[in-house]
Amino acid sequence: MTQSVGRRVGGAVLLWAAVGLFVPGASAHSGSLGGSVADATVPTWLVVITGGIVVAGSFVFTSLLTDHEAIRDVNWRRSTVSLPARPRTAITTLARTGSVALLGLVLVVGALGPVTADRNFALLFVWAGWWAGYTATAYLVGDSWPLLNPWRALARAGRALGRRAGRAVGARSPPARYGVWPAVAGLLAMVWLEVVSPVGENPRALAGLVAAYTLVTVAGAVVYGPSWFERADPISRVFAAYGRVAPIQRTDSGVAVRLPGGALTDRALPDRPGETAFVVALLWVTTYDGLVATPAWAAAIDPVVSLGVPALIVYAAVLLGGFALFVGVYRWAARRTRERADTYVTAATIERWFAPALLPIAAGYHLAHFAGYFLGLAPALAAVAAAPFAPPATPLVAVLPGWFGTVKLLCVLAGHVLAIWVAHSLAFELFPGVLAAIRSQYHTVAAMICYTVVSLWIITQPYVPPPYV
Amino acid sequence: MTPTDRTDHAARVRLPDPEIHVPAGESPAAVCSHCGRPFRSEHARDLHVGEHHRESASAAERDRYDEALETERDDLWLYHAKAVIVLGVTYSMTVILYMVVLGSGLL
Repeated sequence: MTQSVGRRVGGAVLLWAAVGLFVPGASAHSGSLGGSVADATVPTWLVVITGGIVVAGSFVFTSLLTDHEAIRDVNWRRSTVSLPARPRTAITTLARTGSVALLGLVLVVGALGPVTADRNFALLFVWAGWWAGYTATAYLVGDSWPLLNPWRALARAGRALGRRAGRAVGARSPPARYGVWPAVAGLLAMVWLEVVSPVGENPRALAGLVAAYTLVTVAGAVVYGPSWFERADPISRVFAAYGRVAPIQRTDSGVAVRLPGGALTDRALPDRPGETAFVVALLWVTTYDGLVATPAWAAAIDPVVSLGVPALIVYAAVLLGGFALFVGVYRWAARRTRERADTYVTAATIERWFAPALLPIAAGYHLAHFAGYFLGLAPALAAVAAAPFAPPATPLVAVLPGWFGTVKLLCVLAGHVLAIWVAHSLAFELFPGVLAAIRSQYHTVAAMICYTVVSLWIITQPYVPPPYV
Repeated sequence: MTPTDRTDHAARVRLPDPEIHVPAGESPAAVCSHCGRPFRSEHARDLHVGEHHRESASAAERDRYDEALETERDDLWLYHAKAVIVLGVTYSMTVILYMVVLGSGLL
């Protein structure tokens, strides 16, 4: 998504890295995503294989921990903090007003501000600040999106106006048979649009997209009420899904501080069509975003496009095909789990039961993919945010040290290891005894190892702008 | 704000009972006498009764649970022995792989 801001980068960043931390002029850095790793003395294939070995090893190690009560003690450990009503109301009002004002600023600066990507506040704010940086807070800290979502506040105001006019608003409910499939489709569509359209580098196009999204979301949430954000709005669902990994969880009276991933062992996904598919889609879209920026993709798409197939179709076909493949592998693992555990529990239940374990993987991969991008553009974002209408001519961009490549690999691994632990805990809740619970995980772990290898490979590849778009 | 630093045991709720499907033409090897849940083996049923219905279990059921646990323990010992060997072999193979790759320049 966001790499488009940094498409102009190149070797300049690596050159300047030797000179100092801050470089004036270079537009962004994310093009050098994997460079530091590829240049290390350890060959890439060995790095990638080591990742697979670490995941396999952590599964074997986790299987040595078989005390069900002790596992629960770890996962359910929590400190609760209750917030009195008055400060809560004040915070809510402040957050709603502030977020709507910020949305207005993004629309105005996007439509009227500087056209240079790295000088436009709207562009830097949406991609670096919000999609890269803020999303990371959802799984590292907690999901604050229900509080900060400007569209939720706008829809609330819209419903109030509708009620005043005597209309029945927010009373309808989206058809139950669609479940959360609208959100799955929305997520895939947004990522496709972000990759193939200029919204990542053209502030005008971005403002248009934000305006269109505002219209659809506010209209949907006025008609269908808050269930729109739960069932149809892809963005709210992304943050809610990532938020389940986070240490801070909302409770009825305030917040609970837990171990990261602890809340994932509390409950399976709700029994609605598309719930598992959304989690798998979340995992896939970040992978896709990285995949289309690898040299291998550029080499593979070349002959296909030269045959006369429109590039947009190729991008869409791979997006949908990869999603189907991911769903297929997950379903296969769930069915094998059912056999290995020798149980009558349905495969559909097993899918929903273990799907939360995929969320730490998605979060770890998101962090690896976007942390460097966010940190690199943070100084530029700060400079431009100070004066959105008169930004500095060449905002500063941070150049990250060489060891940051290793940090990214560790993020991917940490996500997988946490996923192994969550799946282990969930298996103990589902199957009686110990050995059935351990055996049930073999195929899921095999799928995870494949996924680790693929995502580590993508992370270590040099950045190539997605061609033909 | 009122911080209450404690492990909240009251918040412990069991996850919902999973959906069960017995394939047509197959009769379950065992059924839980408390909740009617079918199992593919008596071993799994005995463990389930001990884990989920400990309070209402009869003396015979408790004995069967203890027996099932004993079997689990024996099998688990064997499994853990294998796991430790696998971990050790994986670790040493990885070290050797790195030594070969980084030290010899063969690969």
